[in-house]
Amino acid sequence: MQSASWFELNRHRLYSAMIVVAVTLGSLWALSIDNRFLYLLVYVWFGLIYGLFLQYGRFCMAAAVRDLFAVKVPRMAVGMMIAVALYAIVAGLVTLTGHSTFHPNVLGWHILIGAFIFGFGIVFTGGCASGSLYKAGEGNLNSALVIFAISFSQAMVVAGGSWFDGLTPAGWAESALAKDMPAELSVTRGWFDLFTAGYVWNLKGTTLAEIMGVTESPVTAVLINTFLNAVLPVLVLLVGLYVYYFRKGYVRRLGKSSLTLGDELAGIWNMCTSSKNTALAGVGLGIFAGLHMYVTGALRAHYEIFNFGELLTAMGYTNGLSIQDTVFDPGYWYITTQEAQWGGWVMERLGIDMMDNIFFGLDNGLPNPLLNAPGFMSIGIILGAAILALLRREFKWKMPTWETAFFAIAGGILMGIGARLAMGCNIGAFFATVTNGDPSGWIFLLGMVLGGLAGVKVFTKWMDWKLSREDSFGL
Amino acid sequence: MLGEMGNLIRERCVNWLGYLFKRPREPRSLMAHEEILPGIGPVRVAYVIDCMGAMCPRPQLLTMKILAMVDAGEVIEVVTDNPAAVETFPSLADTLVCSHLLTIRESDCWRLYLRKEA
Repeated sequence: MQSASWFELNRHRLYSAMIVVAVTLGSLWALSIDNRFLYLLVYVWFGLIYGLFLQYGRFCMAAAVRDLFAVKVPRMAVGMMIAVALYAIVAGLVTLTGHSTFHPNVLGWHILIGAFIFGFGIVFTGGCASGSLYKAGEGNLNSALVIFAISFSQAMVVAGGSWFDGLTPAGWAESALAKDMPAELSVTRGWFDLFTAGYVWNLKGTTLAEIMGVTESPVTAVLINTFLNAVLPVLVLLVGLYVYYFRKGYVRRLGKSSLTLGDELAGIWNMCTSSKNTALAGVGLGIFAGLHMYVTGALRAHYEIFNFGELLTAMGYTNGLSIQDTVFDPGYWYITTQEAQWGGWVMERLGIDMMDNIFFGLDNGLPNPLLNAPGFMSIGIILGAAILALLRREFKWKMPTWETAFFAIAGGILMGIGARLAMGCNIGAFFATVTNGDPSGWIFLLGMVLGGLAGVKVFTKWMDWKLSREDSFGL
Repeated sequence: MLGEMGNLIRERCVNWLGYLFKRPREPRSLMAHEEILPGIGPVRVAYVIDCMGAMCPRPQLLTMKILAMVDAGEVIEVVTDNPAAVETFPSLADTLVCSHLLTIRESDCWRLYLRKEA
């Protein structure tokens, strides 16, 4: 009886400690096998830190765009902007040390369309890609379903058969063929291969400094990429959010009829700190996302590699590498590609050939999930969120209903399709890009905002219809 | 201890199956009632919005709808187990011209009290 009550009282602390111990022991075990697994463990522990911060601030980038339209609350949009500014500054410093792992995304219409589909999907799933991970860590099984749906829909998009080949412009196949790729990739078969080789490869990814032609001095280039591409737009957006969403309520609470400049600045500060948890999480996420690039970059220099695939080869693990002997290894915070690899790996085990395409076969490989470094970052986010949620007694198993399960899967599929078209999610294609001087991220944000707007409209219609049928507000 | 964990898991599974195949659990009384809020005193709660298990943005949207229906000065209560929604409510209150009186942490949910301003 005595022990039962102790268990009841401290169950959450016990579970939380068990996760920390398990991750620590797992890390030591990996190092005891081969100390070069340190490279993989960097992803694990940074994932854990991201998870802690995401849960701490209930930091959901889906809410950032959705809540602006659904309920006119700028809390998360502000938190996201804080994170972008901090990440940009740290990333600028990291770039100056020469250890930046960043590579820009290519610029094209696909980003806008993909981001629109992605933004539409996140309204129904109740979380973006990283948001779903941290919510799964809080015990939300709807979010776990979302992760499932994203994984498999992406794998099917990139490896899908040739059913949709007829929809591609004639030029793509020609252009893809001209790339002279190995025959086993069959680049002229499969919609996504045609899209990648016939369209995306013809585009260029670049940073703002390169566009402006200022690259001879690294310091000026970093200043342009950090301040002109990230910090300045963030300040403009913060002022915009203040004027459109916050100022009215602020004036009412202040009880003044006209505001001085000082009042306005205090109002902006007020808006940024109105949710302390969110603001602090933004600061933390920004700083650690930048540090992550530095640590991975420094380790790459130490091991003299460009990609984790080389390290895996050296350690004797050659299964699942791409034909270039590479695996997916972004070197910074990324979510969706490793989830596609999980889905692809399972489908490969089921006997479907998943390596005959560019995405897995040439670029990212299909490593065993136990050797998938960025995959462990995603698991780290789940575990980090679980540690903190348990400590704060916020962990709770939430079971799906038929309705939420349907939305989770349908929305997750849309997110997967959108993320592949746009070459990333709100982390990989927006957060990590705008902060490193790549303007394509702002296009992603625009697409995601428009998609979110459309999603909110549809979702509100659905809710009205459902409520009118139930004829009461009891849910 | 392991036996206790096992019992817990079994109980959860049974609950969920009931939840999937029958009506969701009986909502708390949605009728108006008096309640004494710590630090604020007795308050007449005009509406209770039960958002247990609801994902964002449903709790926020339901609250907006109810707030549009009640009269100025009335207090509504929102019951939710969604941490992200709880974090949003103070900012939501500003937008919706109401004051966020208090958030009470229960063992399995939060109860938030909002008063519609004039």
